[in-house]
Amino acid sequence: MADLMRKLSLNGRLALTAFVLGFLALFAGTPYHGADATINTKELSLTMAADADQVGVTTLADWIIQGKSNFRVVDVRHATAYAEYHIPPAENIPVAGLGQSSLLHNEKIVLYADDGVRAAQAWMLLKAKGFKGVYILRGGLDAWKDSVLFPRIPGNPTPAQAVEFARAREVSRFFGGTPQALAGDSTAARQVAMPKLTMPASPTAGAPKKKKKEGC
Amino acid sequence: MMAPFYKFGLFGDNIGLVVAFLVGIGFGFFLERAGFGSSRKLAAQFYFTDLTVFKVMFTAIVTAMLGVYYLSVFGFMDLSLVYLTPTFLAPQVVGGLILGAGFVVGGYCPGTACVGIATGRIDALVLFIGIFVGIFGFSEFFPLVSGFYNATPMGQLTLPQVTRLPYGLLVFAVVLMALGGFAGAEWVEKRMAARQAEA
Amino acid sequence: MESKSAQPYWNPYVAGVGLGLVLLASFVVMGRGLGASGAVASVITAGLDVVAPSHVANNPALAEYLKEGTSPLKDWLVFEVLGVFVGGYISGMLAHRVTRVVEKGPHISTPRRLVFAFVGGVLMGVGAKFARGCTSGQALTGGALLNAGSWAFMIMVFAGAYALAYPMRRQWL
Repeated sequence: MADLMRKLSLNGRLALTAFVLGFLALFAGTPYHGADATINTKELSLTMAADADQVGVTTLADWIIQGKSNFRVVDVRHATAYAEYHIPPAENIPVAGLGQSSLLHNEKIVLYADDGVRAAQAWMLLKAKGFKGVYILRGGLDAWKDSVLFPRIPGNPTPAQAVEFARAREVSRFFGGTPQALAGDSTAARQVAMPKLTMPASPTAGAPKKKKKEGC
Repeated sequence: MMAPFYKFGLFGDNIGLVVAFLVGIGFGFFLERAGFGSSRKLAAQFYFTDLTVFKVMFTAIVTAMLGVYYLSVFGFMDLSLVYLTPTFLAPQVVGGLILGAGFVVGGYCPGTACVGIATGRIDALVLFIGIFVGIFGFSEFFPLVSGFYNATPMGQLTLPQVTRLPYGLLVFAVVLMALGGFAGAEWVEKRMAARQAEA
Repeated sequence: MESKSAQPYWNPYVAGVGLGLVLLASFVVMGRGLGASGAVASVITAGLDVVAPSHVANNPALAEYLKEGTSPLKDWLVFEVLGVFVGGYISGMLAHRVTRVVEKGPHISTPRRLVFAFVGGVLMGVGAKFARGCTSGQALTGGALLNAGSWAFMIMVFAGAYALAYPMRRQWL
């Protein structure tokens, strides 16, 4: 082979190289390894142990109220569930579509579903694909309803509880929720209707992102 | 896996523009090296006297194709993150015919026209102005043609998907076709040169 | 028609490899390929946006080049095309191939050649819009990525050009 290369002209060498590479392509397999992923189990378990994988609902509510724009909220449920109600700035990317989504690897992303299961699975998938800033919303939409939309105050609140509830009431009103003043009965709260989505979506997320032009 | 670098967030849009500029410099440089600043040389392709257009174009395609293929196969690059222009078969076929006609009438394509202008060719400048007019005119008449423009959408479609053949097999086929084409091109050029010498 | 000291062109295969490596670099770094016609559209959109912004907003063929919060000129392709001018000039200067001239065959006058150049450009602009690209974007980029539509486009470009070669021969031969 080396002998042959020496005898050939430059064009001949280029042609031979191309031919060999082309021939080897018959055996090299598929180029689509994008769906493969590596999991660094040590790194992941440390993250989980440090609780650095989750964000609480009140923290998220605060971020939204303060108008922070350095994060994205992703609702990983089915589209119909999303249409019924979603946390205002959230985008809907069902779990199946996470691979093809427009999420960037170094963005801060908060994932949520109804409770924590789907969101945790989505978190695992994205971590495996190398996303650095993904978080699970602790408690999911259930916790959001409980603490943010429909905060409850017991019949005889202590002064500390009253202060906390006043704050929670403001937060709840911001999101169109209904603070409850019940005598400790939790089931009644669930029957309250979910707030209509009148809150304008955060400029960074909700609005349909203009697809980046990458053509020619 | 870490490429394409931009898609993995290694840098932002502004650096991306710098990259664009550098890529453009490389592009323009090699186009001119090949002689594509000259419309006479470009047009000669269609009279079989100088088949440089075919040789350069397909060598570039084969080089980039092999590079993309092997980098992806070895997991260095995520091929699914590289942008693939969606296929709209009918308008692309018709657009190709019109563009080809424009190529032999005008003597440049948009990219080579830039190289022509940069090396002083006045006809390249006039052609480039024509491109502006053509695109502007198209945009103004867009409502009339938008139906056809959006016809036959097929999404992002690759040859392996269309032929249901393995990607690697298509790679080999393209290489074979290119090598065969080059051999044929050399032969045709020699024959034309001999014929011109006789004349 | 180059100046006397113009150097010979490079081996086309070597130039092709160079071009292919530039394209590959673009794929690896940006995840996208080259282009040229899109930059022209961005410039047109930017210009019209200054004088008639509502017209631009209502025309989807132009509006697609608008960018949120910044000029349509802050576009990857615009910067890339600027680079093409620079790269072409550098190579031309190094090879003494920069010369103010109208390229044409011996059997046609300069004014006629320029009319054809203009008409050719108009055809190119229209064709590139329908095809969503030109030879750099569709043929080179799409070709390397085995894009089905791009390969179809590429074949038709050669077909269209060869079809008109005979009628155009007075220009070139």
